[in-house]
Amino acid sequence: MILLLRSFLVPAGSVLLAFLTGGILLFLSGSHPVEAYIALFQGAFGDLSSISRTLEKATPLIMNGLAIAFALKAGLFNIGAQGQFLFGAFAAAVAGFYVQAIPSVFHIPLAIFAGMTAGGIYGLVQGALKAFSGAHEVITGIMCNYIAINMTDYLVNHPFRDRSPGNIVARTPQILDTSRFPDVAGIPLGFIAAIIAAILVWWIVRYAVFGFEIRVVGSGINAARYSGVRIRSVLMGTMLISGALAGLGGAVETQGVVHRFQPGFNTGLGFEGITIALLGRVHPLGIIPAAILIGAMKAGAGMMQFSAGVENEIIDVIQALILFFVTADVILQKMLPGIKWAEGERLSLSTGWGGNS
Amino acid sequence: MVDRALPAICIYCWIFTIILFPATAMSGCGDGKTFCIGLVTDVGVIDDKSFNQSAWEGVQKAGAELGAVIKYMETRDAKDYEQNIHMFAKNNYDVILTVGFALGEATIQAAGKYPRIAFIGIDQFQAKPVHNVAGLIFREDIAGFKAGALSSMLSKTNIIAAVMATDLVPPVAAFQKGYKAGARYINPDIKIISSFHPGGLDASFTDPEWGASTAAQAIAQGADVVFAAGGLTGNGALIEVAAHRGKYCIGVDTDQWFTVPSARSCLVSCALKQIAPAVFTLIKLAHQDQFPEGNYYGDVALSSFHDFDKKIPEKIKQDLLEIESRIKDGRITISADE
Repeated sequence: MILLLRSFLVPAGSVLLAFLTGGILLFLSGSHPVEAYIALFQGAFGDLSSISRTLEKATPLIMNGLAIAFALKAGLFNIGAQGQFLFGAFAAAVAGFYVQAIPSVFHIPLAIFAGMTAGGIYGLVQGALKAFSGAHEVITGIMCNYIAINMTDYLVNHPFRDRSPGNIVARTPQILDTSRFPDVAGIPLGFIAAIIAAILVWWIVRYAVFGFEIRVVGSGINAARYSGVRIRSVLMGTMLISGALAGLGGAVETQGVVHRFQPGFNTGLGFEGITIALLGRVHPLGIIPAAILIGAMKAGAGMMQFSAGVENEIIDVIQALILFFVTADVILQKMLPGIKWAEGERLSLSTGWGGNS
Repeated sequence: MVDRALPAICIYCWIFTIILFPATAMSGCGDGKTFCIGLVTDVGVIDDKSFNQSAWEGVQKAGAELGAVIKYMETRDAKDYEQNIHMFAKNNYDVILTVGFALGEATIQAAGKYPRIAFIGIDQFQAKPVHNVAGLIFREDIAGFKAGALSSMLSKTNIIAAVMATDLVPPVAAFQKGYKAGARYINPDIKIISSFHPGGLDASFTDPEWGASTAAQAIAQGADVVFAAGGLTGNGALIEVAAHRGKYCIGVDTDQWFTVPSARSCLVSCALKQIAPAVFTLIKLAHQDQFPEGNYYGDVALSSFHDFDKKIPEKIKQDLLEIESRIKDGRITISADE
């Protein structure tokens, strides 16, 4: 129990420090920090609809955080999550408006499946490149993100464009009602799906044989090879699942929030997954509170701007500060020397770079 | 020990302040006396030197004249359109402006939910009139006509050019159509080199290199006046023309004298959409309970000639005024086809 508490120390301390630093910045820019933070809090948790919005914002962050964290377990840094997310969102939109006249019970899972498949296959491509040619997944991931952005731009501008009269922008038609997510007792269905996904991922990493193989590969390629792990299959399998998770995030965003695919609606979500994964200490269940925190900041930013007059770029600054303090946890440990930090509190990001097969 | 307790103390202080300070007081919107005007930007900042800023200038003017409470919300994420509009609506604002085509759907939706609030949608064509929504749109063909007429009058080589973003966007196509018509109205034999960007919606407004090379080509073919319409692509063309001595360029939408200062050496004028005055008028109409539903056409005009004012012959200025009045009373009509 104490060990568990200790693993929360770095993230919690980082968040606190980031908010304190953010408060100083707010003060220097002429706003009242307390007033601003109260507005932020009210905008995120003030009433039922704002809580629901917070969860809605947290959902894609959980999915992308899981995608990044899962790949990190095998020592892979899946920076291509953004592209996988985009393809997932796009595929779910196509399944959502193209397939007609089937009941919700089939349509919703069908669109989800389309999104997961699209994201998964795109992840698999990057996994295969790594497994067979040794191409670093960070490089291919960045390239694949560009391909995904431009490809989806093209697809929504030409073959899948919304041809309804009066429309002048590139976007797909709206998805049908049968493929949209309903709310379950005020909680967005997507959020429930995200929680289930997080538990599943945690179980796989912890108890499944494949999860064990992933961790072995993550802790050292050579050791893994020596102990008879099929490294290529593990690398490809990891990227397939990681991509499917990001794709699921895209599908949920399309079916639950945007209700169509439109360029510019999903920018940056894949990269924010990195923040979430690190803030959640790369633990599938730690990602949930991390995502809710960032989701709350996004949901509350509007209220902060409206009633406290704070430019909402400050949210980006605080987010960046959180990430900074989490990754540079040495700073935190120096500042609070009285605390016994948990053993192995070091983030093992570096393995992502050493994993040449 | 103190070190260890520090985070806990901070958290306590935090929770304590949240309990101590309840919701901040409201501004009095909705009490029947205070008139409140809210503006929601498209993704971007309020001082964008473009539509957001022009609309906000109109709001500020109306606010000063009516003694109204004014406030804007900058949209960060396209998913927040609805929420940002809702923020004003929930606080009983009387008029809510939304800037840009992209907010059209969210505006109509909010209008249905808040039938007592007047919504002004800038650049939002209303296919089906809703009683509390006015779509502020502009006749780009008329703006283009004026630019075309001016180009034709300025040209010495009798060759002029138009460098445009994609014709997939109806306003761009309308600008070009009007430009040709205006140029031919002055000189039926003028040669017009007109090019649309071949890319799609995303690329065609953000390709200054294409704009520059296309403008350079047109100049090489003898054009001495270039009309550029299309975001950064157009700006690229303007800047290119500025590098050629003795050539003129004409900008679009807002007064680009201020937004593209590096084109000042060629920029004679701009085909303006006069957003601020139209916003001002619409807000006043809403205040007098005479809010118009459906589409409201704002004025289009050529901007001030700035440094070129002395170089433009009085004859041309007179002719432009004449054209203006002929368009107003219908003696000039711009046909649907070229």
